[in-house]
Amino acid sequence: MTLLEVDNLKVTYQTDDDPVHAVNDVSFTIDEGVNYGLAGESGSGKSTVAEALLGLLPGNGTVERGTIEFDGKDLTSLSAAERRDVLWEDIAYIPQSAMDSLDPVMSTGDQIAQAIHTHRNVTDTKACERVRELFEIVGLDPNRVDDYPHEFSGGMRQRVTIAMALALEPDLIIADEPTTGLDVIVQDKIIDKILEIQERMDSSLLLITHEIGVIAETCDELSILYGGKVMEQGSVDNVLVNPTNPYTMGLKNSFPEIDEEDEDPVAIPGSPPNLNGEPTSCVFQDRCPFATDECGESHPDPVELPNRNHRSACHRVKESAQMRQAADDPETWDIPDDGDSESDRGEVILETDALEKHYEQSQSLLSKVRGEDPDHVKAVDGISLSVRRSEVLGVAGESGCGKSTLGETMALLEEPTGGELVFDGEPYEYYQDGNQREFRRKMQIIFQDPFDSLNPRQTVRKLVGEPLTIHDYRTDEKEQAIVETLEKVGLTPAEEYLDQYPHELSGGQRQRVAVAKALVLDPDFLICDEPASMLDVSLKVNLLNLLRGLADTEDIGIVYISHDLASLVQVSDRLAVMYLGRVIEEGDVNHIATQPSHPYTASLLSAAPEKDPTADRTRVLLEGEPPDPVDLPSGCAFAPRCPKAQESCWESEPAIDETGDERHQAACYFPEGDDDPTTVDTSATDSDGASSINADSIGD
Amino acid sequence: MSTGTEREAEVYKRVDAVWTTVCDQFAFLRQDRLAFGGMLVVAAFVFLGLFGPFLAPHDPIEHTVRGGDGSVFRLTAPSAEAFFGTTSYGKDVLSQFLAGARPTLIVGLFGGLGTGALGFTVGVVSGYYGGWVDELLMRLTDLTFSLPFMPMALLLLTFMTPNIWLITAIIAAFLWKMPARVVRSEVLSVRERTFVKSARASGASDLRTMLYHVAPNVLPIGFLYTAYGVAWAIAAQASLAFLGFGDPTMTSWGRMLRQVFASGNMRVAWWWVLPPAVGIAAITTSVFLIGRAYEEVINPEIQTDQ
Amino acid sequence: MTKFQRFLLKRLAISVLLTLVAVSVIFVVLRLLPGSPFEALVTSGNLNQEQITEIRAMYGLDEPMWRQYVNYLTSLLTFQFGYSILRSQPVWAVLEPRLINSLILLVPALVTTAILSSLLGMYAGWNRGSRLEKFSIVSTTLLRSTPVFITAIFFIIVFAYNLELAPALGMRSIRATPDGYIETFASLDFLHHYLLPFAVAVLYYSGDFLLLARNGVVEKRGSEFLKLHRAKGLTEMEQLARAGRNSMLPILTYFTLRLGMIFQGLILLEVVFSWPGIGRELVLAIQQQDYPLVQAAVFIMALAVILANLAADVLYAYFDPTVSASGGGSA
Repeated sequence: MTLLEVDNLKVTYQTDDDPVHAVNDVSFTIDEGVNYGLAGESGSGKSTVAEALLGLLPGNGTVERGTIEFDGKDLTSLSAAERRDVLWEDIAYIPQSAMDSLDPVMSTGDQIAQAIHTHRNVTDTKACERVRELFEIVGLDPNRVDDYPHEFSGGMRQRVTIAMALALEPDLIIADEPTTGLDVIVQDKIIDKILEIQERMDSSLLLITHEIGVIAETCDELSILYGGKVMEQGSVDNVLVNPTNPYTMGLKNSFPEIDEEDEDPVAIPGSPPNLNGEPTSCVFQDRCPFATDECGESHPDPVELPNRNHRSACHRVKESAQMRQAADDPETWDIPDDGDSESDRGEVILETDALEKHYEQSQSLLSKVRGEDPDHVKAVDGISLSVRRSEVLGVAGESGCGKSTLGETMALLEEPTGGELVFDGEPYEYYQDGNQREFRRKMQIIFQDPFDSLNPRQTVRKLVGEPLTIHDYRTDEKEQAIVETLEKVGLTPAEEYLDQYPHELSGGQRQRVAVAKALVLDPDFLICDEPASMLDVSLKVNLLNLLRGLADTEDIGIVYISHDLASLVQVSDRLAVMYLGRVIEEGDVNHIATQPSHPYTASLLSAAPEKDPTADRTRVLLEGEPPDPVDLPSGCAFAPRCPKAQESCWESEPAIDETGDERHQAACYFPEGDDDPTTVDTSATDSDGASSINADSIGD
Repeated sequence: MSTGTEREAEVYKRVDAVWTTVCDQFAFLRQDRLAFGGMLVVAAFVFLGLFGPFLAPHDPIEHTVRGGDGSVFRLTAPSAEAFFGTTSYGKDVLSQFLAGARPTLIVGLFGGLGTGALGFTVGVVSGYYGGWVDELLMRLTDLTFSLPFMPMALLLLTFMTPNIWLITAIIAAFLWKMPARVVRSEVLSVRERTFVKSARASGASDLRTMLYHVAPNVLPIGFLYTAYGVAWAIAAQASLAFLGFGDPTMTSWGRMLRQVFASGNMRVAWWWVLPPAVGIAAITTSVFLIGRAYEEVINPEIQTDQ
Repeated sequence: MTKFQRFLLKRLAISVLLTLVAVSVIFVVLRLLPGSPFEALVTSGNLNQEQITEIRAMYGLDEPMWRQYVNYLTSLLTFQFGYSILRSQPVWAVLEPRLINSLILLVPALVTTAILSSLLGMYAGWNRGSRLEKFSIVSTTLLRSTPVFITAIFFIIVFAYNLELAPALGMRSIRATPDGYIETFASLDFLHHYLLPFAVAVLYYSGDFLLLARNGVVEKRGSEFLKLHRAKGLTEMEQLARAGRNSMLPILTYFTLRLGMIFQGLILLEVVFSWPGIGRELVLAIQQQDYPLVQAAVFIMALAVILANLAADVLYAYFDPTVSASGGGSA
């Protein structure tokens, strides 16, 4: 039975200039009980489709033509009041950013009850009972229904919105990037929860995401959007295993996979199409290596492939098998294949020994007078690492584990509160003591957010040139230095960019300018703090390749900080995994990726979704959330959540060299792979400490 | 030779860039008809302030309008002899109106600039440095908030002879707190942005970071509050003059209103009330309308979809 | 001690300190500046030496400066304001009724305008770009930016002189001789006089509240949480109510601050309408150099602002569930 049928949907946005053609003739159908995925990069129109379905298009967006039939009714022709009746009762919505999607001045329980009251005539007590029930279903403590959104963590807030979506047991749930911005372990649990509940409720799901892996694991059918057009659609098993459209091939190839560390991911060069006019040619033509004259003449209609649930919009669909083979080769995409030039690693350039950064909690006057020791947040707690020239050290961890503080402490943007930091043969005190400039010249840091890391009121010339002025470096050949550096990071021809302001550049270009700003001083060391986390997949891969290349050719040491294990595996030589301010596992990246020792690393690795729908992975779902960094449990910090924890784990903390050797060591008494049958499943909840902590952190 | 022309070309390019920036800043005027109207009023007012005294047919204070028989025209309605009528002392209202624009312009312009500059500086320094500097400066603004402007100004003006610059200074000394607070809170958010951290990481000094990275990004709000400062200063000056604490040597619109109010002729002499009242209302409203339109452009929070 | 209590204590200490500094500034202005009013009081006028000594003694001017300062502080902070020179009455006896008169005019006006203008502003913000929005912004900008005495003069000319709907001056007609507050205020005559100044005050303040509410709603209109509310099927009005509720805090804070500045904000309004309030009394006292009265009135005005500031900060920290009180409240 068809539940939702979208037919030739076209949506445009009115702007001051030309209208933006965001969605162009998109058609798909969702059957009852089916999980349907909409995949695409930013600007592909996938969220606009969701907004059109829900009637939530912003004021300047209009549905130009097409129909959206839901359960036999055309949603586009409903009046506002009729549509309100359909919303939530029949179609519920899980929004993109749970962080901002809950009303900040209304308790979470009330917000769910409000949804119930709007559509059902029930008493307050009934609604309240239902809310508590829903909290239980999504794994939240029912006693917290009166809490306000800011009292919940990001993952828990997403659970609240899921509970809200379930309130009236709708026929269709539209989830718009429900896990974006969440840590990988939390993401995995949320996806798991959605699937579990949805199984039970027997409703359909429309999942919108840029992560092909998530769709591969959860959906039955999918459409891949690009430039507002459906490029390929059909059953997940067909489309993702045997793509017939060059775009799908490119998209799939740009996702690095953890266990394929030998293969470089292949990015699609170029940038997404301009949507200011109705597409007259294939929207992917500019970036497609297989484009012919025919592709310039019209956008191909989807072609039904014989004998299976699979459609593809490509003029050359008949040659898909050949294209598929060619697409795996970087040269097809005009990317020089520099091979795996394993360059020799140089001498150690940065070394930390038991580095600490503790933040003092503010204290009341009274306890100051009494001379009580203030509480400390141990953001970085005794970390010993070393980085050589030409080496990329990856630092992995979830949000809040202290990895960004580690980066900033290494860059001396935060004063270390303990331990040693030696850079280029001198301790950090030497630099603080009047040699700050030298340090700032040799050590550069690249920040997370390309949209915020450039001063919006400076041109590229000024942005890249400023470090030269500050350090009086190559001032007589400034222009040349700027141009050289811009070309090094792939902004060619550099002259075109010199007078542009950041807002005139795309996200990927901005991040390149940020890299150029760091490289213009010819530094010896680079710290990259999640530089790619806000970029689309294809851009992300470009940046990773750029950094890898820099390490190999420029002889600089790089620390790459990220939560994304797949890209870390891709870019780094060695990996350090952080948990609550400590490194719990460290060593050769390939070794860790294939044989993790620490249970935490194992669960991180297992939480990453697979883009191959046929692959099966075993989930290791962790209990609870990381504990409060002020009040850490004694013993191993991971013990409360560890499936293998034993008495001894609670008593004393394992050191980093507890297991393994120089090349791969981990802070664990019972590392993975050491098959000790007694350690499994005597779960830690028996112990007193564990139960008290778990009680505080029911949820993610 | 060629280097000379090159340098010239470079200069032109710079000028051109500055000009484009200025044009961009004022682009909102084209879209907002009200703000455009306001701009016209402001232009007319500046013209009056500069040339009004020369345009005045008579001396506003010395000259007395007399009829053919030499009798003083007291409180006469607009006529051929006096287009805007006369005051109860037989002075020409038109002349007073034209001459009265100048003090309003001086106080408005310099009071506004002073307010904006002082407030902007305090706001940027306080927000950027934080800590005890911030605490001190913010307590100082609290203090100027708690001391009531009008009574304090009146007190100061009773035992210092009022003159136009003293009035301007007093106004700026009391009004800077407004931009200071707003700019500070803006700086607090700019300071947390990544590019400021990035500037520090590349070795920029505090002064450099503040001047090149923080200040330019809060400049629009500084402009906005300078504009509002102009309107406030004009209103404050008119109010002081209305209470009799204006510069006694200069005719101003506020003083004209004081005279008509004190003489008790408000009921009849509409021609005496209207010019200064409309003048003040028009200029303050225009400045505010322009400010509002500018605010719509620079405030990202309210730049949501339309 | 909870965070909130600590925050409260800090704000309280700051307020006390501020009061002391403000009071000291008033002292400096009134006594220490060259040709200070108290000196002028003694030297001006045709007083003989005996009278001068008498007056100096009466106001404590013969004592050393620090003693004067201490006396001044203790008397102000205990609300002992001394004697009015001109009215030969205790200052408090002069000020008290004037204070009440100001409050009865301005507090209802402020409350009325806060409620009406905020509601209108929310509605205007929701219908951004509509005629109503444009009109309401332009008209309130006009009213807010024009100095209040000019609006008042226009109102007097139009409504009192030409249309003769209400009297122009005073609080009661000249013939009325009411006794006590109830008799003064509970009469049609009072209401008649009340009409114009009340209307002008309401209109004058409307602009700020309208704009604050409108900007708040415009800002919230594009927010994610409102999108979710919309997806839930809430009606337009229900959505507007949520957007409005989310914009309440700045309005509430602003209201409190305005309330504190109530005495100094509309001095000119009282002057034009000859409303016997504290503002008009202060202007008269300055003109007539009645300094004990001046210092008391200025002190009351400053105190009101400081207290309102304190209240605003505390309200903000208390009502915003997302602000942790420690860092909360704009400094």
